[in-house]
Amino acid sequence: MEKNEFIKVEHVSRTFEEKEGPLKVLDDVSFSMEKGELTCLLGASGCGKSTLLRAIAGLDTGHEGTVTIGGKPVLKPEKTRGIVFQEHRLFPWLTVEQNVAFALNGVDKKEKKQLVQKYIDLVDLTGFEKTYPRNLSGGMAQRAGIARALVNQPETILLDEPFGALDAFTKIAMQEELKKIQKRSGVTTIVVTHDIEEAVFLADKIIILSARPGRIKRIVEVTLPEPRDRNSDEFTRIKRDIYGEFFE
Amino acid sequence: MHLPDKLKKLLSGLEYILLLVVILLIWTIMEKRGSLNTVIMPAPSKILETFVKLVRSGQLWNNLLVSLVRVLKGYLIAASLGIVLGILIGLFRHLNRLTDLLIQIIKPIPPIAWIPLVILWFGIGEEGKVFLIFLGGFFTILINVVDGIRQTDRKLIEVSRSMETPFLKHVALLVIPHSAPNIFTGLRVGLSSCWMCVVAAELVSSTTGLGYMIMNARQFGQTDVVIVGMLTIGVLGKVMDSLLKVVEKAVIRWV
Ligand SMILES: Nc1ncnc2c1ncn2[C@@H]1O[C@H](COP(=O)(O)OP(=O)(O)OP(=O)(O)O)[C@@H](O)[C@H]1O
Ligand SMILES: [Mg+2]
Repeated sequence: MEKNEFIKVEHVSRTFEEKEGPLKVLDDVSFSMEKGELTCLLGASGCGKSTLLRAIAGLDTGHEGTVTIGGKPVLKPEKTRGIVFQEHRLFPWLTVEQNVAFALNGVDKKEKKQLVQKYIDLVDLTGFEKTYPRNLSGGMAQRAGIARALVNQPETILLDEPFGALDAFTKIAMQEELKKIQKRSGVTTIVVTHDIEEAVFLADKIIILSARPGRIKRIVEVTLPEPRDRNSDEFTRIKRDIYGEFFE
Repeated sequence: MHLPDKLKKLLSGLEYILLLVVILLIWTIMEKRGSLNTVIMPAPSKILETFVKLVRSGQLWNNLLVSLVRVLKGYLIAASLGIVLGILIGLFRHLNRLTDLLIQIIKPIPPIAWIPLVILWFGIGEEGKVFLIFLGGFFTILINVVDGIRQTDRKLIEVSRSMETPFLKHVALLVIPHSAPNIFTGLRVGLSSCWMCVVAAELVSSTTGLGYMIMNARQFGQTDVVIVGMLTIGVLGKVMDSLLKVVEKAVIRWV
């Protein structure tokens, strides 16, 4: 396996058979990622970002082309890939702690407790272990979802517009949090987003998708120094450059 | 000051019993004016008197206990079988297709229509009555449970699948809690139909129970006893439903 090909997406196309006829959502998408890299899938609403992420997750297998991770074809979801969904998808009847613990199978009680606490602390939810999801704010629920996806210590984590529903302040704080967690754990990460600034702030590599059917329009390597300054000239320049891909 | 709050509570409490009080009032007035045929419709005071008498003699209590035990037996069987089979049918698509038609056909048959067959099968013993009561609750519970299980949120199922959750854990921590509201609806509606069936079951020829008490009193023209029996069934049904509601609230804490 070559170094820069931990995740390989090869010629993935996806067509949904609708009553009104076939709907082509993804058209021959190919890209690859290194281990430990953070890639953003950037595109307008409806261009097939979630569909692509679901293919990589193994939740949807109705596509043409192949997805391989670590040399193995992806045919079904596996716990080595943590998923954070567009909505938090916590179980309402479980507390934060129980929701996070739900992801762990075959781990002994003591270790489970430690792991759960570690990841709750990591996403800054200390003190809310016994809280039910309905009593969490949107941002807190999303963070609990992230803890749940990380607790298995997956090789890969896939996030679908994780901060899409948050206010601007929480969003920025969460982006910084995610970046820190990702750098510290070295987990290979894909973040779906339609927020250009978010992509430039987070990504090592941005994959720009065209409007439906989603095709790869351009791949931008972001080599800004860390920590990234959203107001630096270079940051703004990349933002403007990508902006130009969407609005001529 | 909390007085307005308290007042509000009091008023809504009064509202709750208002209609009942008005009916009792009209009923009493009609009797006092002599416009009530007390042979077929005794006055509230007479009913109360009979109630006290039946309580004192232990007759009401004994019959009530007998009926209650029958209902509980039939209900427990209906509930456990309904829940277990409901979960299985809800989980496995093939089992659902296999059983659906049969359930749809048997469900609309009222328990009373089973009586002749039940007598032939069980004779006139205790089992027949319990079986009728069981029939009264079983299908309601079963269908509600199946519905609840089949409606399990697909998005949450994906979450569970993405974690490779073992099947039993998936059922215990996702499928069952998700359908808990439906299961409780089934349990409550089922309990009330079991309770309704007790009278029918005690028609199967019985010498005990509230149903028997009512039928027996009718033969002697004791309308007061009939009404006391009916009201006892009504009040007890309401109490049991309220108890189940309390349990439901305690179990489903997350909403
Ligand atoms: N299971 C499905 N069946 C039919 N059509 C689907 C299905 N899933 C997605 N689509 C269609 O595919 C298109 C792309 O959907 P997708 O959810 O991937 O978009 P997206 O890029 O994630 O959009 P957003 O940013 O709004 O989340 C949409 O037109 C959608 O209606
Ligand atoms: Mg989406």
